Amino acid sequence: MSMQQPIHANNNKEAFLDHIAAKLGRERVHQVERPKLALPGRKDTPATEELVDILKEQCFFIHTQVIESSPEILQQTLNDLLEANGGGPVLTSADPRFAEYGLEFSGRLLWEAAAGRDENIRRAAAAGTAVVFADYALAESGTIVVESRPDQGRAFHFLTGHYIAVIERSRIVPRSTQAAADLNRRVMAGEPMGSCINLISGPSNSADIEMQLVVGVHGPLRATYVLI
Amino acid sequence: MSLQTDNRKFSERTAEGIDNPFMRSAVSSAQDSLKTRRLSAATALGEWEEWRKAGQQIRQHTLKHLDYYLEELARNIDRRGGKIYFARTKEEASAYIGRIVEQKNAKRIVKSKSMVTEEIELNHVLLEMGCEVTETDLGEYILQVDDWEAPSHIVAPALHKDRKQIRRVFAERLGYQGDETPENLARFAREVLRQKFLEADIGITGCNFAVANLGAINLVTNEGNGDLTAAIPKTHIAVMGMERIVPSLEEMEVLDNLLCRSAVGQKLTSYITVMGPSAPGEADGPEDFHLVVVDNGRSDILGSEFNDALQCIRCGACLNVCPVYRHIGGHSYGSIYPGPIGAVITPLLGGYDDYKELPYASSLCAACTDVCPVKIPLHEQLILHRQKIVEQGRTGTADRLQMKTAARVLSSPSLFGKVLRLANPGSRMISSRGRIVRGPAIVRGWTSARDLPQPVRQKDSFRSWMENRKGGSGN
Repeated sequence: MSMQQPIHANNNKEAFLDHIAAKLGRERVHQVERPKLALPGRKDTPATEELVDILKEQCFFIHTQVIESSPEILQQTLNDLLEANGGGPVLTSADPRFAEYGLEFSGRLLWEAAAGRDENIRRAAAAGTAVVFADYALAESGTIVVESRPDQGRAFHFLTGHYIAVIERSRIVPRSTQAAADLNRRVMAGEPMGSCINLISGPSNSADIEMQLVVGVHGPLRATYVLI
Repeated sequence: MSLQTDNRKFSERTAEGIDNPFMRSAVSSAQDSLKTRRLSAATALGEWEEWRKAGQQIRQHTLKHLDYYLEELARNIDRRGGKIYFARTKEEASAYIGRIVEQKNAKRIVKSKSMVTEEIELNHVLLEMGCEVTETDLGEYILQVDDWEAPSHIVAPALHKDRKQIRRVFAERLGYQGDETPENLARFAREVLRQKFLEADIGITGCNFAVANLGAINLVTNEGNGDLTAAIPKTHIAVMGMERIVPSLEEMEVLDNLLCRSAVGQKLTSYITVMGPSAPGEADGPEDFHLVVVDNGRSDILGSEFNDALQCIRCGACLNVCPVYRHIGGHSYGSIYPGPIGAVITPLLGGYDDYKELPYASSLCAACTDVCPVKIPLHEQLILHRQKIVEQGRTGTADRLQMKTAARVLSSPSLFGKVLRLANPGSRMISSRGRIVRGPAIVRGWTSARDLPQPVRQKDSFRSWMENRKGGSGN
């Protein structure tokens, strides 16, 4: 720690911000009203079934398979998916919903706070498939939203070849607007939040070579959403 | 790499671009596909003009209160246990990062694509320190393997290269033995780079937007490399241009939607991430998080007549519609920021001495202004640059003489008439079959690319023709 002092002792903040204010032709301001956003777009909230349809259609475009399942047959759906894709071992978190839905996977690897950084990353890299529960799903863009937690780290979502997100239908919202508003409400209320919020829309991809889409680059090569 | 990617004369750079059929065909097909994708994504969203207005308002509001939002950001980064540093110059920025590297005794560094780190010549500094630096964005990695070639597009940096060239570079430098299909090339890079992520001491990323009230940064990517860069190494250093900030996640959401659709025609890219220092109890993510806020000439733009250029969200849509970019390619601009937005901001960041030609690399067709998702009046700013360049007497003697002569001739009807009468006989020597193939200096800019019709004889001119029709049938 003693070595850190010289680096951060002066972060230039005051002089830097004074200079900006001067360029803007005024004194520094310490109170600003954030303008209310007047956004275009649908104002009504579509019914869940319509949202499911929008989500399914969009997933076709983002190379993501959508499987409609239910809490009762979720285990079977996941088993079938794992078998079809040969994607073991399975990486899961300690999300209580795994227990709630009675999910078990043989030889599964667990991301858990107690295992520490290196071991958790090792497990994630050794796993073939990650299974995760979405915090929100955004119908328009085919996106799931997940937040980092002690039992579900950042690298959890990026190291396996196959990525399966279980989406509870009640968590589908029309688009990113609703998720952003809800998350910002939590920020404003000072609620504790994970250090990382991921909006994930399908598998990783790149068009850096001749603008031709390659599905699967650094992150997962394949993504599947299971609706329950 | 710095802002400047090529110190040859502008005319030499463009000549090389125009003579490169490889690059030109790659650029034109990329432009066509990106243009179409952007348009259909904008149409699908609906009320695009309203969204653009919202984007413009957000950017303008934030710029107008930039000191306030940066202070709020600093407070929240600090609250979350991260460190923020304000760098007035590129030297300050890269020296600060160098000190962190030194203190950590870091040897292996992974980076995810960031234009501002190019601007501050960070790779140069890190390589000098003996670090192994790996650019992990596929396009950037291809350029790195090919002797750190300069990017030619702000979103698709290796757009000028084709699969054959990439296969050859991978084979020669990395021992790649596969074929030239993009899937296999990408899969190979994935394997090589996966190891680099796992071994890295420090991860360095750019920042699409900092979120002031959260104390976090937002990355918008497709490959997943940005996320791995900020997840695995114990230290994450993010570098941002000082104007790239939003008040909250709500404004970020609007801009990310505009960015993804404008840049690549996606509703949202595969990965949109909001991240900061690791929270207590979390196993991965950075134990040490540093955000470096870079001025490097931006504050001189702030509050000036070019202020609107700071609204830029780096989507590259203006490059994808520009007819000049299409023909000369990204490298001709000699800057890491090419295309219309590059022609506006490069002279501002790098000065007219090196970049006074760039504002002329435009037909002023305003296609760039029309597509800009945050409504920067790009072509108007290019005209403004030209005015300043003329006012400062930076145009050549020949140019000035030409303009003076034109002003005299065009403001005197009798002189104009005389010149018209002389134009045909005067051009006979250099014309053949009614065309001038190689003209004198005054028209060489034109004749170097296409023939110029010979001025018509006096009796065939529009004026004589009009004269003769007077009193005619009137149809």
